[in-house]
Amino acid sequence: MMKALAGSFVSFAGRPLAGMAPERRRALGLVVLAAVLLAFPYIHDNDGDIDSAANAMSYAVLALGLNIVVGFAGLLDLGYAAFFAIGAYYYGIFTSFQVMPLWSGFWDPFAMLGLVEKINQGGPDLVHFTLSFWLALPTAAIVAAFFGILFGAPTLRLRGDYLAIVTLGFGEIVPIVARNVDSVTNGAAGLNGIQAPKLFGQSFGVSATPYYYVGLGLVALLIFVSLRLRDSRIGRAWMAIREDETAASAMGVNLTRFKLMAFAIGAAFAGMTGVFFVAKLQTATPEMFNFAVSSMLLVMVVLGGMGSVWGVVLGAVLLQLLQTWFLPELTGWVHQLGAAIGVPALRRIDFVDSTQLIFGVILVVMMLFRRDGLIPATRKMPALSYAAQHAEVRRGGFVNLDRIPRWSPEPGNALEVRGVTVKFGGLVALNAVDLTVPAGGVVAVIGPNGSGKSTLFNVITGLVQANSGSIQFEGVELLGLAPYQVLERGVARTFQNIRLFPNLNVLENVLIGQHARLRSGPFASVLHTPGNRAEEAAAANWVMDIIGLFGNRLLPRIGQTVSGLSYANRRRVEIARALASRPKILLLDEPTAGMNPAETLELAEQIKSLHALGLTILLIEHKLDVVTRLADHVVVLDHGDRIAEGRPDEVRRNDAVLTAYLGRAARAAVMEDDHAS
Amino acid sequence: MITRRSTFRIATGVASAAILGSRAAHASDQTVKVGINLSFTGADAESAARIANGAILAFEEANAAHAVPGVTFDLVKFDDATATAGQYDPAQAATNARKMVSDKDYVAAIGPQMSGAGKAMSPILSAGNLAIITPSSTNPDITDPKFAAQYRPSGKAIYFRTVATDAFQGPNMANYMADTLKIKSVYILDDSGAYGVGLADAYQRQAEARGIKVLGRDRLDPKAADYSATLTKIKAAAPDALYYGGVGQAGVKLAKQAYEIIPNMIKAGGDGMQTADLLKGAGFPAVDGWYATVASPHVTEDPKTASFRDRYFARFKIYPDDYTVTCYTAAQVIVEAAKKVAATGKPVARDAVRDAIQGVTLPDSLLGPIQFDENGDLKNKIISVFQIRKDDKHPLDDPDSQYKYVGVAPMTQS
Amino acid sequence: MTAVDLFLQQLINGLSLGAMYSLLALGFTLVYGIMELINFSHFNVFMVGCMIAMLTLQAMGLSGQTVILSGAPLVLTLLAGFAVSMVLCGFIGVGIERFLLRPLRNVKGPAAMITTIGVSYVLFNLVLLTLGSDSKNFPNPLPPVVFPIGGAVLRLREVLIWITAAVLMLALNYFTRYTKLGKAMRATAQDAEAARMMGVEVDRVIMISFFIGSALAGASGMIFGLYYNLAKVDMGFAAGLRAFTAAVLGGIGNVPGAMLGGVLIGLIEALSAQALGSAWSDVVIFSLLVLVLVFRPAGLLGRLAPNKS
Repeated sequence: MMKALAGSFVSFAGRPLAGMAPERRRALGLVVLAAVLLAFPYIHDNDGDIDSAANAMSYAVLALGLNIVVGFAGLLDLGYAAFFAIGAYYYGIFTSFQVMPLWSGFWDPFAMLGLVEKINQGGPDLVHFTLSFWLALPTAAIVAAFFGILFGAPTLRLRGDYLAIVTLGFGEIVPIVARNVDSVTNGAAGLNGIQAPKLFGQSFGVSATPYYYVGLGLVALLIFVSLRLRDSRIGRAWMAIREDETAASAMGVNLTRFKLMAFAIGAAFAGMTGVFFVAKLQTATPEMFNFAVSSMLLVMVVLGGMGSVWGVVLGAVLLQLLQTWFLPELTGWVHQLGAAIGVPALRRIDFVDSTQLIFGVILVVMMLFRRDGLIPATRKMPALSYAAQHAEVRRGGFVNLDRIPRWSPEPGNALEVRGVTVKFGGLVALNAVDLTVPAGGVVAVIGPNGSGKSTLFNVITGLVQANSGSIQFEGVELLGLAPYQVLERGVARTFQNIRLFPNLNVLENVLIGQHARLRSGPFASVLHTPGNRAEEAAAANWVMDIIGLFGNRLLPRIGQTVSGLSYANRRRVEIARALASRPKILLLDEPTAGMNPAETLELAEQIKSLHALGLTILLIEHKLDVVTRLADHVVVLDHGDRIAEGRPDEVRRNDAVLTAYLGRAARAAVMEDDHAS
Repeated sequence: MITRRSTFRIATGVASAAILGSRAAHASDQTVKVGINLSFTGADAESAARIANGAILAFEEANAAHAVPGVTFDLVKFDDATATAGQYDPAQAATNARKMVSDKDYVAAIGPQMSGAGKAMSPILSAGNLAIITPSSTNPDITDPKFAAQYRPSGKAIYFRTVATDAFQGPNMANYMADTLKIKSVYILDDSGAYGVGLADAYQRQAEARGIKVLGRDRLDPKAADYSATLTKIKAAAPDALYYGGVGQAGVKLAKQAYEIIPNMIKAGGDGMQTADLLKGAGFPAVDGWYATVASPHVTEDPKTASFRDRYFARFKIYPDDYTVTCYTAAQVIVEAAKKVAATGKPVARDAVRDAIQGVTLPDSLLGPIQFDENGDLKNKIISVFQIRKDDKHPLDDPDSQYKYVGVAPMTQS
Repeated sequence: MTAVDLFLQQLINGLSLGAMYSLLALGFTLVYGIMELINFSHFNVFMVGCMIAMLTLQAMGLSGQTVILSGAPLVLTLLAGFAVSMVLCGFIGVGIERFLLRPLRNVKGPAAMITTIGVSYVLFNLVLLTLGSDSKNFPNPLPPVVFPIGGAVLRLREVLIWITAAVLMLALNYFTRYTKLGKAMRATAQDAEAARMMGVEVDRVIMISFFIGSALAGASGMIFGLYYNLAKVDMGFAAGLRAFTAAVLGGIGNVPGAMLGGVLIGLIEALSAQALGSAWSDVVIFSLLVLVLVFRPAGLLGRLAPNKS
């Protein structure tokens, strides 16, 4: 430790900043950045450039919102500008002179609230809406969130690119509607007289500076919200969905709820931006929200770094300033350069016509050479040192078991599968299968490949629908429940071919296991309410205890992305993730597959120690020695039929089992062998 | 006749005037900037370039001729299209307006192409008292006194036009079609744009007032390629005439496909259909017979028109279209205003230039007499009607020879 | 015009539109099927194809509507136009794939899609800067032959576009189903890794599918030009978007699906323009798309890929 410190001191002796602790360096950087941004209108007193910067802020907020949908939750949205338009027209219609119903007593209370005023343009009295900018910001968020849910709902079942085209469709529909319902939106001519914001009775007017500060404030606020969400239960759920929907739902994430939440929160950001944008512009036309805007926002997000909060802000600001400030000025700069160095040819160059060409080239080159974005969301962790990789590994059962409370299941049968049949088209994967797991017991399911073992797990955990039968867990019917509901009832599983969230680290993976046991909603997560903080702290402790069970196998690697782990360690992480949900029954699908004999033995011991703590376990396993070592009871499946059950040693000798497993000839050989021994 | 060589001389003259400007003899030597804000990239780039050519030519000529002693005009391009919007972007137009306002060297501006951009620019320019003259944005809202508080908060007119608003072109053409063409029924189309919708709306109101039966109203997507479904619908409705409010983007495709489907129907449009793009893109025989209107009196056989065409062709190797002319005239107005300010001995500054523009009289511009009313609109409200008739003796894409003047569209009598 | 004639005429209009969308949709579907990539550069490859076809015909001495050919000269001219635009577009596609997309082959997420957006900007602005943005009069050498069907009218160019579209589509269908290369393509689409192990040269297959997809865009460009006698730099987006929608509606990655989707979208566009007005066409098209996908998440003819677990 001392040595490392001294080393870093020596190597950074010339760079005092770099010698600081990373958090302090970060804080200092933020303070400097904030100071520069706050002082910008005074340092660079050009209203046009300040306006460019204010517009860039709008796009930064939009990029942050789209980042929640695309970057966090992985839902490709090509029509995001629709929500921008909805916020814009919401504020535009309720402050301009477009929609003016006849005045009646109905409007009196609204007038008292300052939302409308009575005006007369010759003829009867009319209602003029005068929605305050400051009230419009939060309410636009709500309105846009509502539309986010409305547009999101039909897309829930769609994957990837189908989702993209449907969102693109909504993105096309909204501006078309805005163009065609002239009476409300003034159509293509654009709204007239959208109100500028007022603060303390003072209108913002046309100077760009106050808008710049409001934009800056919005960006700061939404960066804060994004960061808080990212590091919360909600952010983890989104990332789980992005990485692997099936695994996410099996780990307790309600897909519908969290996808819609992503759409809603992303839309809310855009709705607020819409208000800000048209308040500054004082007009709104349908062309401001077409597909080009949506695609550019996506470009900003990708260029900045998908899922990276600071990255997308940087991407948006850079791209926007590039288009509105740097590229337009380029011609002037080159001309000045030409004048300075006396090359008249340079003075004749005109870039104005080719800005979009240059822009396209920049885009292509960026994707070729820096495709993870300017600030990638996942930073590469340095590989473990040789010493850490080869740190002494403890063999045998779990360590630190004392930190895990014992399970004390009610006696009786925990899981009862009765007559479950699953058909895929003409194929019968499970045929009226019965199976019982007593509380606190370990039951193993064996059978040759294709015998229906994994289908059995899938039907129990809600991933596959049963055609008939019943599955009761502690007296509650599981059939018909969604996977996340099954997990909530205490049934956790692992997958035969490991379904971790590949781009998340070990700690995050295991924390997602806790998802169903936590309650914080978006507001609590953003505000860090005392309840939320307590919950998160408890979750972190619990998860560390679970990871601690695996000792040196996982503890040094909690910050590593799981895609870089060894096969055996990934299996361990998956078991830890399932345990983190504190299940009442653990379903392990071939937990030792791909492990060498020593590792297999280690894991078997570990499972045994969980059993010793009272956990009920249902196990699929091929290695018969593991089964014999662990299981009290074995069920044998073949072609979807239960062909045998009993104690491990009984099953081993069962004729039907041997035939199914090994074929007739081999069975004969085994029998002879057994007789001989 | 201006030859290629003499154009070259003019061009070098301009360049040396710009470079040597500071060494010239006048004590009050001054280079003033005029911003021109159009959509130079994206979908409207081509027409922007053609509009801008008008101003480029006007200022080159003014500089070469020392039209305003001691004053050199520097025309600076501002692009209000962004890749983000894919076309004109009102937010960028506002940014450009702020850029011009915050640089004191700008004394006036030209543009924008689109009313949506104009709506975003006008309040800012009003606060900065920088006059802008639009060669092509026709939506009446911006100069409508009803919205004065919005678009010119500081009171004075700031948004001038050398183009008529939709408020007259449409209705007057409705009158012409009722009186002269004797149509009883019409089908109305627009191109979704601010100009086209406004024009078609104004036409429709007057057509209904004159008892013309409006058999239908449809909206074309200017980016779509195929209007045959809509045209088939019109064919089935069988009106006497088709009126189209819109610009060439959809107009070219419309003219082409209308020729196939409703070849014998009377077809008419506004000044958006008075364009070289239509002649070049749709061509004869498709465009033959179309009516178009222009918001200026027609000066027959005027030698200055021919001279302008020759100078323009010599400089740019293409023929001007009507927005080139409105833009050329806008630039002439600015030159004239600067001349008036300079004549008083004061430096040419934007406040004085705005006031001078308000009072400018150009008695014989290419558009006829130019004067602005207190809102910034042209005082002249005469709408001339043209019909495309093939003239083989002249180039088939030259609007001046292919559009034949057929008369004045009468004002609505109120 | 009677109501029946009107309906028939709109049917003809819709089918012609649909034929064009189908051809363009095939390019999307081919590339998507193999690489799972939404190729936005396809929009503007199509536009470039139309420009190339126009320049080719002009170079052969055709201009405007004035030169009308028949017989062998007509066939030869048309073949030359198709050949040049298809081959050049094919090479543009190959270039995009080889130099800009191949380095991104194994990158997850939308990086490749963003690249295609960038390429689209580049193509658009290159044409804008060299040829300008005005509408161009595409040469029309076709004789104005018309077949009246009751009150409705069927023109030679409509027959031509149907036949060309049908021939190209059938050829593609045959190619992907029955030729060795086509089978290799489908294998790559199913599982590139497995195909590689079975000896398929995946790089070559992807390159060829880009070539074919882009060549079809070139053919669509030529057909578009002949049909509308018009070329314009911004023509790619609206047609491309509808074609892409058609590909998804039919089931993206599926060749007959792209044909069906294209024809359906064309018919919907024509009939909704008749019934509601063309301003609402896109709203109708996309609403219908949403509706179809809600009930058939993989499109009309697509099959949902089994969850690879």
